[in-house]
Amino acid sequence: MKFKTFFGATALFVLTAASGSAADKDAADTAVEAAKKYAGTTISIVWEAGLQSLDPLNYSGPQWEKLTGIKVKVVEVPTDQMFTKIMQDFKSGAGAYDALNVIPSWMPDLARAGALEPLDKYVDKFGYRDELQDIAAAYRDNQMQYDGKIYGFPDDGDVMLLYYRKDIFEDPKMKEQFKAKFGYDLAPPKDWKQFDEIGQFITDKMAPKVYGAGFFRTAPYPQYMFQERFRTEGGKFFNADTMKATVNSDIGLKVFKGMLAENKFMPPGVEQWNFVDNLAAFLQGTTAMTISWPPYGRWAAGYGSGEEALKWVPKSQVAGKVGYALTPLGRPELGVGFDLSVSATSKNKEAAYLFIQWLNSKKTSLERVQLPYTLRDPFRLSHYASEKYRSLWPDATAYLDTIKTSGEKGLLDLSLLQQDKYDEAMTKAISSLWAGEDAKAILDRLAQQFDAITEKVGIENQKAVYKVWAAKPGAYPQ
Amino acid sequence: MTLSASLNGAEQRRPSRFGRMLENRLPYLIVAPAILILLLVGLFPLIYSLIVSFQRITMTENDTSFVGLLNYAELFRDTRLWASLGHTAVITAVALPLEFLIGFLMAQLFIDRLPGRQLFVALLVLPTVISPIVAGATWRLMFDVRFGPIGQILSFFAGEPVRILWTVNPAYVYPAIIICEVWQWSPFMFLLLLAALSNVDQSQLEAAEIDGASYLRVLRAVILPSIAPVVAVACLIRSLDLVRIFDIVWALTEGGPGSITETISLYTYVQGFSQFETSYTAAISFLVIALLTVITTLVLKRMELAR
Amino acid sequence: MRVGRLPARKVRILALRYLGATVVTQLFLFPVYWLFMISFKTPDEIYHVPPLWIPAQIQFSNYFVLFKDGDVVAILNSLIVAGVSSGIAIVLGTLCAYSLARFSTGGENLAMWIISQRMIPPIAVVFPIFLLYVHLGMVDGFFGLILLYTAFNLPYVIWMMRGYIVDVPLELEESALVDGLNRWEVIWKVVFPMVRSGLMATSVFTFVFAWNDFLFALVLTRTEVITFPVQLTHYFGGQSNFWGKIAAMSVLGTLPIFVAVSVMQRYLVRGISLGAVKG
Repeated sequence: MKFKTFFGATALFVLTAASGSAADKDAADTAVEAAKKYAGTTISIVWEAGLQSLDPLNYSGPQWEKLTGIKVKVVEVPTDQMFTKIMQDFKSGAGAYDALNVIPSWMPDLARAGALEPLDKYVDKFGYRDELQDIAAAYRDNQMQYDGKIYGFPDDGDVMLLYYRKDIFEDPKMKEQFKAKFGYDLAPPKDWKQFDEIGQFITDKMAPKVYGAGFFRTAPYPQYMFQERFRTEGGKFFNADTMKATVNSDIGLKVFKGMLAENKFMPPGVEQWNFVDNLAAFLQGTTAMTISWPPYGRWAAGYGSGEEALKWVPKSQVAGKVGYALTPLGRPELGVGFDLSVSATSKNKEAAYLFIQWLNSKKTSLERVQLPYTLRDPFRLSHYASEKYRSLWPDATAYLDTIKTSGEKGLLDLSLLQQDKYDEAMTKAISSLWAGEDAKAILDRLAQQFDAITEKVGIENQKAVYKVWAAKPGAYPQ
Repeated sequence: MTLSASLNGAEQRRPSRFGRMLENRLPYLIVAPAILILLLVGLFPLIYSLIVSFQRITMTENDTSFVGLLNYAELFRDTRLWASLGHTAVITAVALPLEFLIGFLMAQLFIDRLPGRQLFVALLVLPTVISPIVAGATWRLMFDVRFGPIGQILSFFAGEPVRILWTVNPAYVYPAIIICEVWQWSPFMFLLLLAALSNVDQSQLEAAEIDGASYLRVLRAVILPSIAPVVAVACLIRSLDLVRIFDIVWALTEGGPGSITETISLYTYVQGFSQFETSYTAAISFLVIALLTVITTLVLKRMELAR
Repeated sequence: MRVGRLPARKVRILALRYLGATVVTQLFLFPVYWLFMISFKTPDEIYHVPPLWIPAQIQFSNYFVLFKDGDVVAILNSLIVAGVSSGIAIVLGTLCAYSLARFSTGGENLAMWIISQRMIPPIAVVFPIFLLYVHLGMVDGFFGLILLYTAFNLPYVIWMMRGYIVDVPLELEESALVDGLNRWEVIWKVVFPMVRSGLMATSVFTFVFAWNDFLFALVLTRTEVITFPVQLTHYFGGQSNFWGKIAAMSVLGTLPIFVAVSVMQRYLVRGISLGAVKG
């Protein structure tokens, strides 16, 4: 007995000591220590202009400088120019950028062109493998590597959530009438048929004060919703053997027609809505359901509403009334996202790498995703579990849980060579849909365009990349 | 007195050789700085671009081998390219006359003295001064079915709610673009014409008035010929700019819905910027330059004939 | 011109013209007014249904933020870049235009080549220029942008001024030369004043073209010389639209030109005919 207690105590002591010293060497601190020798230098990082840039400008940049003496120059670039600027800098040999923000679907193109620095050797040198495991699998396994090498650290938990008005869904009269009419309980829609029924029902009852739902319909985001719905309804983008596009299948037609039919119970003019129009409508209480990225959830709850930086967000009239759920058919799109990378032509690769390791580390990223004005969404298991985050607003727990589940069930963005050409074609096809063109004609044309792009890239090349992509668990619903 | 005679006369009064050399070379001297700058910034990139158009540089390939007219051949098969040229032609053909007409009428309104004219003119220049990006974005907001006043105003006059989706409805996208464009650039014509009209020979005007000529006759016989050089250049410049229209269309429709408002510069931008088809973009650019050269030459020939 | 002394018909015409002027100005200024109002609105007012024509109160917070965040430096940068490049372009270009107008230097070929510069789609040359600038170390610096805008405005200045100079009667210059003035003095003292209105109009738009350029400013700058249009586009996010800042910045960006035009515009129209024309 005594021996056991003694042994147990010793073991406990040793373990505590070991974990204690391991805690001293977390990735953030390691990065800071190693970076101190670069004090006095300046590194530049390309970041999305606008709200996103406030993170490095107001928080992480100054923090890093305080800790290591390295100055951070933030190169703000509008999103639709980011790819171009990175490419131009790379191709001109200017080497003006050290660290980069990269959208994961660009990774194949950038990595193949040689614009991104492979990070494996730095990861091993500075012991970052452990903390990388903490990144949610959806992002870690799909947005970090290309061709077996690490090219970026996923830094944003982008995923589509369904937001709905709890107060309307839980209203006894609404529930009663709905059950009577449709025979099932009023709850977040499990599929698109339910979505249509619920949406139409709410519009019939409450328009024009409240409409059943609203979505953003203009470029560049609706194509992500199309990608999701097309696949969850059973569609495949390509025939894996011939690499011929199959977006114009019956499923594609069904999806297009379904999307068009939704507009009927949405507020008039929804075809013109962009991300912010949709946000405004939801925050003002005009729509009872919407689908969008995690920031909606924070802003709808009124989190950060006092912040100067968020002054452009209309006041939320629905704080406390918002519920979070998986999108219909339960496989939400992991739309867009952001990775932190190092430019292959940087003259300060190690310093740049240490900065992104620090940014992305468990400790720092937890702080960053809680900034009121951030657009970075939780992406680590430790974020979802964080007591502090879970108490930020009354529904924050439900919010984080939904994000976590959504991530686990998430579908990847299509990511092939010259992906932006396919993206552009899909975006244009959707805008033609709102303009009233025949859905079948649009889809046939889209398939043609896809085939033309594939041919230009090289069918065999693309086939190989598609094979790798399609094999990932998040590519098609199993 | 002829020009050369006056030049000779001037020379006699300047005995110094340096002075004479200066006079002889004067035309070239004053042209030189401008030409130099144009050469540096204008010629090199063009030549570079020309070379690139004969290569096969894309996003991922840096194939600098000479492939001849491959890119140019592809131009002719590219239906989207020709569609975009058509769209551009439509916008130019409608907007240019409108801008000129409105600018001319405005100039006529303000040419005679008017109390407070100074303020009016300064205010009227504002649309042209506003960044085209902002102009497009503002009009987009104004056209918005829910947040914009245009729908409100139209509904007021129509007596019933008017719900036009200006940036989505194919029937209304072109009017939207043209309205925004004409709004922004009529003041340009206005100002230029104002300056030109004010230079019209007063004595001739007075003579015509004494003769009792009708306004239209005065217009045709005196005013139009007098302002013709400026008008011709203004229209030429404006049409060259219209062919290259970008910001307004981008802000209003991004070339949509589908590609029906995609102008040539939008298409070139997408090819060159988003998709890094460097060589192909260069080829498109030279096609555009060729087309514009043809237009300009034709216009200049007409100007010559008129003179 | 005292209204009381004029015949009734003239008064009526004047009144009509005044009415026309007011209506036209209001029509053209309405979008500017809308933009101006947005700079004072809160986000709820901007996204208000039905649209609000007047905000509840005039609040300057959008403007304060621009000053606080230092975004206003973009206006200063643009002033320097556009101002200097326009100045150079006007001087060099008008001289060049004079030469073309009076001596037909280089003939039609040169004139053609000059105007052809304006036919070049910017996309075609932006990357080669970027490469050139990288090579010469002129990226993200004032000198490079000024040089570029000067070059791009020269064709416009040359062609416009040639048109205005051609309008000036040759006899004026010839008689001045006879009087003993040399060529430089003729240009300076005789021709320039005659084309003053054209010069002002041309200057305004030369400045505006340089002021509003986006593509080159975007590619050729990174952080040091952010100009006004580039700064503006930072406010148009995929997931955020700082309409307050956009509007306030636009108003601030329009003020310099508005002021300049107000000052210069009395030269735009020659109210009194110059008797000297009759020679």
